[in-house]
Amino acid sequence: MVNVTGGLASVAFAVAVGLAAACSAQEKPGSLNFGIFTFTSGAAAAYGMPGKNAADLMIDRINAKGGIAGVPLKATYVDEAQGAQGVIAEYRRLAADPNNQVMIAALSSANCLALAPIAEQLQIPTVGWNCDTHQLLADGKGKYVFRPNGNTVPEFVAYAIYLLQRNPGAKSVAIINPDYAFGHDGAVIFKAALKALKPDIQIVAELYPKLGSPNYQTEISRLTTTRPDVVFSNLWGADLENFVRQAEPRGLFRSSQVILALGETVLQRVDLPDGVIVGVLGDGWWMSPDARANPAAADFSRAYKDRFGEYPVFPSLKMANSLIYIQAAYEAAMRRNGGKWPSRPELADAMKGSRVATLTGTTVTRADNDGVVDQIVGVTARSSGQPGVTISDMVRYRGDELMPKAGTDPIAWISTLTPEFASSLPKPGSYK
Amino acid sequence: MSSAFIPLLLDSLASAALIFFAAVGLTLVFSVLKVLNVAHGSLYSIGGYLAASLSLFVASRGLNPYFSFVALLLSAALVAAVLGPLLEATLIRWVCGKSEAVQILATFGLFLILEDLQRIIFGVQSYYEDTPMRLMGTTTLGGVVYLNYQLVLIGVALAVIFGLRFLIRHTRLGRLMAAVVADREMAQSIGINTDRIFLLAFSLGVFLAALGGALSTPTSGIAPGLGADTMVLAFAVAAIGGLGQIEGAALASLIVGVARVTAVYVAPEFDAVAPYAAMLVVLLVRPYGLLGTMKIRKV
Repeated sequence: MVNVTGGLASVAFAVAVGLAAACSAQEKPGSLNFGIFTFTSGAAAAYGMPGKNAADLMIDRINAKGGIAGVPLKATYVDEAQGAQGVIAEYRRLAADPNNQVMIAALSSANCLALAPIAEQLQIPTVGWNCDTHQLLADGKGKYVFRPNGNTVPEFVAYAIYLLQRNPGAKSVAIINPDYAFGHDGAVIFKAALKALKPDIQIVAELYPKLGSPNYQTEISRLTTTRPDVVFSNLWGADLENFVRQAEPRGLFRSSQVILALGETVLQRVDLPDGVIVGVLGDGWWMSPDARANPAAADFSRAYKDRFGEYPVFPSLKMANSLIYIQAAYEAAMRRNGGKWPSRPELADAMKGSRVATLTGTTVTRADNDGVVDQIVGVTARSSGQPGVTISDMVRYRGDELMPKAGTDPIAWISTLTPEFASSLPKPGSYK
Repeated sequence: MSSAFIPLLLDSLASAALIFFAAVGLTLVFSVLKVLNVAHGSLYSIGGYLAASLSLFVASRGLNPYFSFVALLLSAALVAAVLGPLLEATLIRWVCGKSEAVQILATFGLFLILEDLQRIIFGVQSYYEDTPMRLMGTTTLGGVVYLNYQLVLIGVALAVIFGLRFLIRHTRLGRLMAAVVADREMAQSIGINTDRIFLLAFSLGVFLAALGGALSTPTSGIAPGLGADTMVLAFAVAAIGGLGQIEGAALASLIVGVARVTAVYVAPEFDAVAPYAAMLVVLLVRPYGLLGTMKIRKV
């Protein structure tokens, strides 16, 4: 009983501190403090570090221009590799500090799902910079959790449409995704879209290796023996890099049309063969026509390259766009309340329904706090004007066309898609 | 499924070879020193990191790429030469003869220290160095393209098994080890320097662990966490084969390899649990492992 009482007291104290902070944070603080949750160690750091690098760069650039309304940004980084328990504890610790006014959390879908109810409980605006799982905002009731960078439904429906536009004769598909929510969700959505758009297509193998697996030789053999027309994967981070390095010499990219949903993240590190379908889970490609036409994006990419030795990958742009999203929310909130520094609830209100121009496009926040962003997909190719591998035959699907309405069961919505719908969308090569 | 028989067989053997390298050093150390070294997985990953680093150095200096094969062996030898005597003369000698609980706690502490040291020295990003794999080319068997490196590893694992058998049964050092294993006090009384035998046996175990890590680098990535995964798998293999049984470790590696690969081919959802399900079945039938012997506890 003592423990229960103590636990309740702790929760009450944390909520009281949070509420006090929310109500009293009307004066401009000395700095805008916030937590950023990403993987800075382990196999997932290959994906998480570009996000952290982008955050470092964006914060420096915003601060160099005077911060937000004269308030400099100051981030505290939390490594998600410590596991969900540690991530939750760190989130609570940061949220209990009234100086921390907003969170950028998290990279892992599992951590996003774990943190969302805590964000609502503590009433701290939380921007899911990489929370792709469609389950995150499924109930549509959240007030403090926002996802400006899109979710798994448009991301993987886009791949199914692009595949069938480019390879309409494909008959069999094998899947190799990581064994956790993102991998299984991705497979469910991709299969549902294929079934709706081409009912006779067969799924000949589904493999879900452990997240962080260093060796895929057996899986590569298994995929090869099923002789699939298409191999689909949403492996990411070091797992993706391992898979590509091991599969390429074994001829998997020659025997099947491979789709690497997160393939853009390894283009600068691995010599991917031509013709692999890749994308950026949104619109965050630094070389897209829209990004190249945007001086701020081009400037960011050059600065990123100068500082970190390689160009930003799409996780970098998701993070950069998340910071732009927060900056826009602060500016909008201050316009609404006569220039006063906003409280946490005022900041959350400003995010709801917002339309923000990012480095690579526009993100529109719906009533359920989900962001609508376009989806860019293409294939790997060598270009005479560019070193290494680039993306060609691109298409840019409008985000709202690939998302079910708020409150709709996404899988039921996907089952209503038709081949006619797919043929009405822009074609590969149309985005130049 | 019948068309997949040859790939299934080859994948099982290739998988078993890698698993054997991870487990045989642990088994050897237990058989001679009677120490359960939980830090064994860290020695495996240190071998991998060093091999990848040396191979990347070879590539960065534009040296003959075949030196990357030398780098694999050299890294294992370096780890054994430095860490073998250092660890044996300090922590391992101290835990020798103490209860299993003390051994496990002390070597687990060593594991945590070695894992943190790896993060400090090698960073948190993954390492890749596949020059040896690319130099050796590929072969198509059963309709599947295999890396020749994978096939050669099967041969290397067999060579290690027969090499260890020869060492233990047909060399002076092996006979001395056998004498120490049979009765340490009696061995000391007839003039055998047991401390030296322990140091050599432990260093050989470290060499085998580091060699396993080094040989895995051309076909796998090396990243933080590898040591923990290796440790768990190595203990499963040692338990199946019978603690201290080198031939048992070989047989257990094959069982675990077949179990895991068959799961990937037939029921991929059981891929992660297949090795431990195999362990459970074996231990239910033979609680002391396939080739282990029942131990009479003196009271």
